[in-house]
Amino acid sequence: MKERGTPLFKMSEYSFVAGLLSVALALICYGLAFASVRVARRRSVLAPAGLGGNLGGGTVTVVTRGPGAIATYGTLIAWLALAFLTASLAFRTVAVGHGPFANMYEFSVAFAWGVLAMSLYFERRYQQRILGLVALPVALGLLLYATTIPSTSEPLVPALQNNLLLTTHVAVAIVAYGTFSVAFAAAVLFLIQPEGGRRPLPRPEVLDEISYRAVVIGFPFLTLTIVLGAVWANVAWSSYWSWDPKETASLVTWLIYGAYLHARVVRGWRGKRAAWLLVLGFAATLFTYFGNLFFGGLHSYSGLNQP
Amino acid sequence: MTPLTHANSLRAEIDADGLEGTVALSPSDVLDRLWRVFTSMRTALVLMLALTALALVGAILIQAPAGLSSDPQAYAAWLERLRPKYGGWVPILDRLGLLSVFQTIWFKAILVGLTTSILACSVNRYRGLWKTAVRPRTRMAGSFYDRAPQRATIDAGDDLESTADATRSIFRARHFRTVVEADGDVVHLYADHFRWAPFGTLIAHISLVLILVGALVGSAFGFRNGEFAATVGTTVDVGGGTGLALLARSFSDSYYENGAPSDYASDVVLYREGVEVASQTIRVNEPLSYDGVSFYQSFFGPAAVMRVADAKGNELYDQGVPLLWSSDDGTRRVGQFALPGAGLTAFVVGAASGQVDPTIKAGQMQLEIYEPGSEQPFAIEIVSQGKPTTIRDLQFTFQREQEFTGLIVARDPGVTFVWLGAFALVGGLFIVFLFPNRRIWAAVRRLPTGGSEVRLGATARHDATFGPEFQDLVHDMRLALEPGAHEGKGHTVVQDV
Ligand code: HEM
Repeated sequence: MKERGTPLFKMSEYSFVAGLLSVALALICYGLAFASVRVARRRSVLAPAGLGGNLGGGTVTVVTRGPGAIATYGTLIAWLALAFLTASLAFRTVAVGHGPFANMYEFSVAFAWGVLAMSLYFERRYQQRILGLVALPVALGLLLYATTIPSTSEPLVPALQNNLLLTTHVAVAIVAYGTFSVAFAAAVLFLIQPEGGRRPLPRPEVLDEISYRAVVIGFPFLTLTIVLGAVWANVAWSSYWSWDPKETASLVTWLIYGAYLHARVVRGWRGKRAAWLLVLGFAATLFTYFGNLFFGGLHSYSGLNQP
Repeated sequence: MTPLTHANSLRAEIDADGLEGTVALSPSDVLDRLWRVFTSMRTALVLMLALTALALVGAILIQAPAGLSSDPQAYAAWLERLRPKYGGWVPILDRLGLLSVFQTIWFKAILVGLTTSILACSVNRYRGLWKTAVRPRTRMAGSFYDRAPQRATIDAGDDLESTADATRSIFRARHFRTVVEADGDVVHLYADHFRWAPFGTLIAHISLVLILVGALVGSAFGFRNGEFAATVGTTVDVGGGTGLALLARSFSDSYYENGAPSDYASDVVLYREGVEVASQTIRVNEPLSYDGVSFYQSFFGPAAVMRVADAKGNELYDQGVPLLWSSDDGTRRVGQFALPGAGLTAFVVGAASGQVDPTIKAGQMQLEIYEPGSEQPFAIEIVSQGKPTTIRDLQFTFQREQEFTGLIVARDPGVTFVWLGAFALVGGLFIVFLFPNRRIWAAVRRLPTGGSEVRLGATARHDATFGPEFQDLVHDMRLALEPGAHEGKGHTVVQDV
């Protein structure tokens, strides 16, 4: 039995707490930055001449105004949070001797890591900080949830004693879940806007593209997760597919995102309906993820119902 | 345009005139129409969502174990066990097939429809993909360059030929394939990158069919015994036409301090016609595979080694009897064996581990002997270890307690297709996003001034990363082609954020 008191566990837990606080702080910065943009916009509507940059003549550079320093801090703190969570997972890996993916606490920290990593990647790639405003609460929720469940590490039951597959199966899932959270964030921002968009939110076409890009990355990873799960099931449970509830739920998720990829090119499904599929897909992702808690079945490794 | 799509567009006109109902359908019309249905993305979408709904039911409601419905009694008992959870809904859910959705006709019909649709779409797409990759359209009309979603115009200082060459080498430096077609005062240039990548989706779709074929082959020609029990020290025929026999040399179960299991291990030897062909310690993550048959560690329990002899002392039976089942209250374990020579079936009942049983004491088993077809045993006897007991001229001896190891034996000839399909599916999908296909057209035109003009156009297929990439290309071209560009003359890049 691995003891909680060892220095590595302590380091992991300190990093976890630092990560949790950083995510919360980053979220506050993102919120403040967004609010200041809105205020700045209202001012510029009141004073259309604009006191800002339009005095020099020549080229008109329209920059959405205001977020400035606080937004930059938000992003920095979010990267810091990612670093803390990475450290937490790394310490834990060394402490327990396998990928930190064997119980609900570990899954939750890893899931939050995936959400944070993917949302920062897309923020950088598309220069859309606002994605974080929806994605960070998801990460924060997962981390807060992690504080409510036991973080002890029980030794692995026989079915889980496959280091390679345990690590890859779940690590790949984390990437998929992270990208689906980004797709969800963009879909939410898409759905709350009227036709044609509303400033200062990103234009609907941009959000649509972000969602699509996220799913085009996430879908292969989810497929790989399911395939690796099938490989593992074939080794440990004697059959690559047995309609175990968690397997089935992951198939539901996979089908929804598959449907989304096609819906995007079907007339009448583009736009709003496709965005709703992303919301549904994310609900299915969470359902698959939390399924351990109420499904029973073969995947009951939550670590929450041990004798 | 293929003849088919042409026919479709004609039909669309008829539809618009409202004449559709009055047109008599010839067989080829019907086929045409079916083709149109199955190649439609809308059909694919509807089928996928229908499958999603069924699978969701299958994930939420407890599903009947495979094969259970063939045993009405066991099935009724299973339904009864759902009562506390689903109450009065049980018979309704059962009637609707919602407790075994993956066996329903609906599920199968959707899979057949989806497979048909995937094949039809693949055939439909294949020609276009092949043509685009091998014989792409190399020249575009002027209006294309006016309206393309990504476009740019560059005034080059050099003459037509050198500008065309320079443009081409810029594409080449970016690993684009280029096709050039000169036509008087205009040089048409087509450039593409990762032209085979679109086949990734084709591979992915075909792979799905391959997986389903594998599943079908497995269920048609596979064999599976989830209750194969071998008492330690005895050799048991594997059955299922495998011609194999398995000896369990030992079994051990180990536990962590907290009581959770840490290991189950069975040391086994496999024989074919009396010759040892394989041996291994089977663990949960280490099955034994031989000649397409795999053995998986699954369960374990107590066994009673029994010996039966007739009045003349001929041995009728000398084997371990795995006590496979638990009594309803969990206090007893029950096993069974047949004596074909004597036409009898014997049940062996023992106290479950840790249970103190008033009738079956430590070192004892209870024997219940049945005649074929009879519901009532004609003899119930308590037998003590090592003490022969005579029942109807037969001498029963409970020799000793032992453990049995429970294995799943499976042979699945479809699994090769499944893995082939699964990995091709993943490969195909990764190709699509790792190697984005790019296609750019350029027209280089001679200008009266002696210089030349390059017009670029591309159809960005809903791909945001292409925008910046295109701008970057245009930037490089300006630097290389525009007179004085390198002297710091600025330019504007229009880009939405
Ligand atoms: C479970 C079933 C299916 C899955 C998982 C699936 C998956 C996919 C994926 C991942 C893509 C790539 C999307 C993109 O790059 O934007 C795609 C594209 C496509 N799918 Fe499917 N598909 C399925 C069924 C079907 C069916 C039944 C049809 C027939 C109507 C179909 C027709 C297409 C077409 C025409 C494309 C576009 C291909 C291209 O852009 O090259 N798919 N599908």
